[in-house]
Amino acid sequence: MSARNWGTELDLSWISKIQVNQPAVLRRAEQIQTRRTVKKEWQAAWLLKAVTFIDLTTLSGDDTSSNVQRLCYKAKYPIREDLLKALNMHDKGITTAAVCVYPARVSDAVKALKTAGCTIPVASVATGFPAGQTHLKTRLEEIRLAVEDGATEIDVVINRTLVLTGQWEGSDFIKTSTGKETVNATFPVAIVMLRAIRDFFWKTGNKIGFKPAGGIRSAKDSLAWLSLIKEELGDEWLTPELFRIGASTLLSDIERQIYHHVTGRYAAYHDLAMC
Amino acid sequence: MAATRARPSAREIFATLEYGPVPESHACALAWLDTQDRRLGHYVSGKWLKPEHRNSVPCQDPITGESLASCLQAQAEDVVAAVEVAGKAFENWSGLPGASRAQHLIRLAKMIQKHQRLLWTLESLVTGRAVREIRDKDVPLAQQLLQYHAVQACTQEEVLAGWEPMGVVGLILSPTFSFLEMMWRICPALAVGCTVVVLVPPASPTPLLLAQLAGELGSFPGILNVISGPASLGPVLASQPRVQKVAFCGAVEGGLRLLIQESVWDETMRRLQERMARLRAGRGLDGAVDMGARGAAAHDLAQRYVREARSEGAQVFQAGDVPSDSPFFPPTLVSDLLPASPCSQAEVPWPVVAASRFRTAKEALAMANRTPRGGSASVWSERLGQALELGYGLQVGTVWINAHGLRNSEVPTGGCKESGSSWHGGLDGLYEYLRPSGTPGRLAYFSESMNYDTFGLAVPSTLPAGPEIGPSPTAPYGLFIGGRFQAPGARSSRPIQDSQGKLHSYVAEGGAKDIRGAVEAAHQATPGWVSQSPGARASLLWALASALERRESALASRLERHGVEFKAAKVEVELSVRQLRAWGARAQAQGHVLQVAELKGPVLRLREPLGVLAIVCPDEWPLLAFVSLLAAALAHGNSVVLVPSGACPIPALEVCQDMATLLPAGLVNVVTGDRDHLTRCLALHQDIQALWYFGSAQGSQFVEWASAGNLKPVWVNRGCPRAWDQEAKGAGPELGLRAARTKALWLPMGD
Repeated sequence: MSARNWGTELDLSWISKIQVNQPAVLRRAEQIQTRRTVKKEWQAAWLLKAVTFIDLTTLSGDDTSSNVQRLCYKAKYPIREDLLKALNMHDKGITTAAVCVYPARVSDAVKALKTAGCTIPVASVATGFPAGQTHLKTRLEEIRLAVEDGATEIDVVINRTLVLTGQWEGSDFIKTSTGKETVNATFPVAIVMLRAIRDFFWKTGNKIGFKPAGGIRSAKDSLAWLSLIKEELGDEWLTPELFRIGASTLLSDIERQIYHHVTGRYAAYHDLAMC
Repeated sequence: MAATRARPSAREIFATLEYGPVPESHACALAWLDTQDRRLGHYVSGKWLKPEHRNSVPCQDPITGESLASCLQAQAEDVVAAVEVAGKAFENWSGLPGASRAQHLIRLAKMIQKHQRLLWTLESLVTGRAVREIRDKDVPLAQQLLQYHAVQACTQEEVLAGWEPMGVVGLILSPTFSFLEMMWRICPALAVGCTVVVLVPPASPTPLLLAQLAGELGSFPGILNVISGPASLGPVLASQPRVQKVAFCGAVEGGLRLLIQESVWDETMRRLQERMARLRAGRGLDGAVDMGARGAAAHDLAQRYVREARSEGAQVFQAGDVPSDSPFFPPTLVSDLLPASPCSQAEVPWPVVAASRFRTAKEALAMANRTPRGGSASVWSERLGQALELGYGLQVGTVWINAHGLRNSEVPTGGCKESGSSWHGGLDGLYEYLRPSGTPGRLAYFSESMNYDTFGLAVPSTLPAGPEIGPSPTAPYGLFIGGRFQAPGARSSRPIQDSQGKLHSYVAEGGAKDIRGAVEAAHQATPGWVSQSPGARASLLWALASALERRESALASRLERHGVEFKAAKVEVELSVRQLRAWGARAQAQGHVLQVAELKGPVLRLREPLGVLAIVCPDEWPLLAFVSLLAAALAHGNSVVLVPSGACPIPALEVCQDMATLLPAGLVNVVTGDRDHLTRCLALHQDIQALWYFGSAQGSQFVEWASAGNLKPVWVNRGCPRAWDQEAKGAGPELGLRAARTKALWLPMGD
């Protein structure tokens, strides 16, 4: 994440002027999922591209160093080598965009990635994830410790108490949700967020990143997210610096689709490595 | 703009992240054409007809120009035969219980469901429209239409008691139509018991496929017949004695006119351009394409318009991912056209959007209404009050608030002004194919020898007609215009004889100038009357009723002089009073709210006044017919110009004396004189919103011909007298339907 939001004067009128035409947003969300399908080579290429946007994530209470290590290895080799060769993409260094773990697992991840000899960044959720309802002091400390352990990206849960009372915070990247809510990344919500990103860019020239997280499981979903970004923000946002997908099981479905594209057969579970 | 090129590799696409083709296989459409040996005939009575010795025209892929099939062109005798079949089928079909018709329509809906891929690929293949649009919108709506109308057929005996199906309906489709437009019309017609003959323009296979699907249900093969032929067969179909109604349906949606408030102009244009740049055009059968192509003619039309607009100084913005070769045309935004430039007056062609600025909402409304078209419009505003004000004020059939293009089988769609005056969908759509039970059907009166240039042109000169044995009291004299009696422009009079042939009195001889004055006066009274609440309108009608009651003996004796028996004359006055009260009461029960599937929020079905309504009253029932027509028109908020009974105009003039004191000036205007001449003046007046004519068959024919100039709705009786004293056949619900127009106001909600 190189681009930085250097901020701007807080102008609350920007926020109070925002109007959302909900029925229209719902229609647009429905349309975008059916009107921009990609097939054949295009589908394979787009799916590989989607891999490069994934923040490969494990956020379980029972995470240990062994499954984090497995995750990191999968992040480095997301698609079976022979499949990439068949597509002539083996020399493109396709990896996921980052791995994303709890603060306590950051050092495991950093170690595993170092052993595997790769430079994929480690992202950590922090600040009392997923509720964010802890003291500011402990939240700041949490960030400090995660960074100390080698995390280079922090997904901060903002203080929603402040938001709901009209006290806003700034950021470089905005995320649809923690992925731990009952409703997570949905297209209608994403459209509203993307339009806000666009408006901010038009007003200030600052590009803010976007990360949908939670519930994105199928390869088809990931394609729809890519076309949503392409349609609403344009190709310049289709880079890991500005777009990430937070997911854990998505990658295996993408790999299965690639397998099908290359071989013409649907893969059995044992054909592909788990993560 | 993408040109055709070699297929890129995954590696290249990975870098560019471009979209690729998503071709929809149209093998089934071609296979279907093969079943007819690529030679399409007509589908009549459940069978394919391929008569010998007919011309044929090629049906081409509008994008590649490839010939798909050849289509036989019908001749007059084929039309006659199809009408014959539909006439026979009508006897059976209309006699069925509604529930049986409902079942048949449901079976057709299922048939469409089973063959939907064939339907959407065929339609996209031959029209070039985007297959997604047809697949996701048109085909589901076609099924929904059948299902909705099946329900209506099922409850017809109960809900539409007192109405019967008209008979054979002739439907004429314009060259660029969508099959959905045909469904909007045939579904209600079939549901209420009518049978249909559709005349489709050359090379339109989809209606033939639909007819085949309906025919293959086995039973009732003759209810839907499709023949393809040139537009010149339209009059042949229309003049068939068995055809009771002719419906015409126009083109698919053209371009758009956009009015944007100055304060948000820059912002809106920026967003619009941003979005337009992301539109993708291409072959209709590509699943990832937003817009297809509509053939070379549409392309040329758009190109000409844009060139013209440029030369008139307009800004032109074109964008989108569009193949550079014809017939594709990029989405185009034309702005800063001046209102007086020819392009501003012309219809905007697809795919062009013409944007202009306005300062205030009031100005926007004036700009939007200053067009001869009146189909649909959408209002985008975050201020609900303002949006509703505009929604009510727009002279169109459908208004969407903060949405566009929504349609549902339950919501009537139609239009006003030159967009036509018929309705599709909802209850309004059903009435289009019904008439009050027992009323005579349409007579095939059509005089070839009628001279439109001279009908009613000259006014026979009238001379003094013998001794004026003054009736007592003296009958009112003058034209009732703008709330008072005025001398006619011609300064001459015509004698009115009583039943004995003696001179009763003179009435003023009205002419073109008087009609002009009356229409002007009516227009001035319109805004005030429209803004009155239904309750206020009702109380004025009731006051008029009481005034009539007080005048009962005078009115009865006037009628008596014209040969009406004393008792019958009293009854006529009583009935007239009752009509005024009844319409007053009905004024309060108008419009309602619809709740439709797939839409959060209500759709308001409004009943709006037509505007200035001209009525030529019949000779029969000189008082009752005059009052009934007047009452219905006023109750619905119209202002009126009336020509009273020719033989017996005095009772109407008597009523004017009360109207002078009770009603706002100009709301009702009564012009006496030569009926043919006045009819001519009214029919040729462009600023009358509707014309009702009760008189001769010849006069009816003239009214229909002359009113075609601005497509104002007309209602003519073709020389058939009505039983004005009977509820159903006289001044019943039919009058109420005709006296107002429907508007659907969509209010999607969500926070």
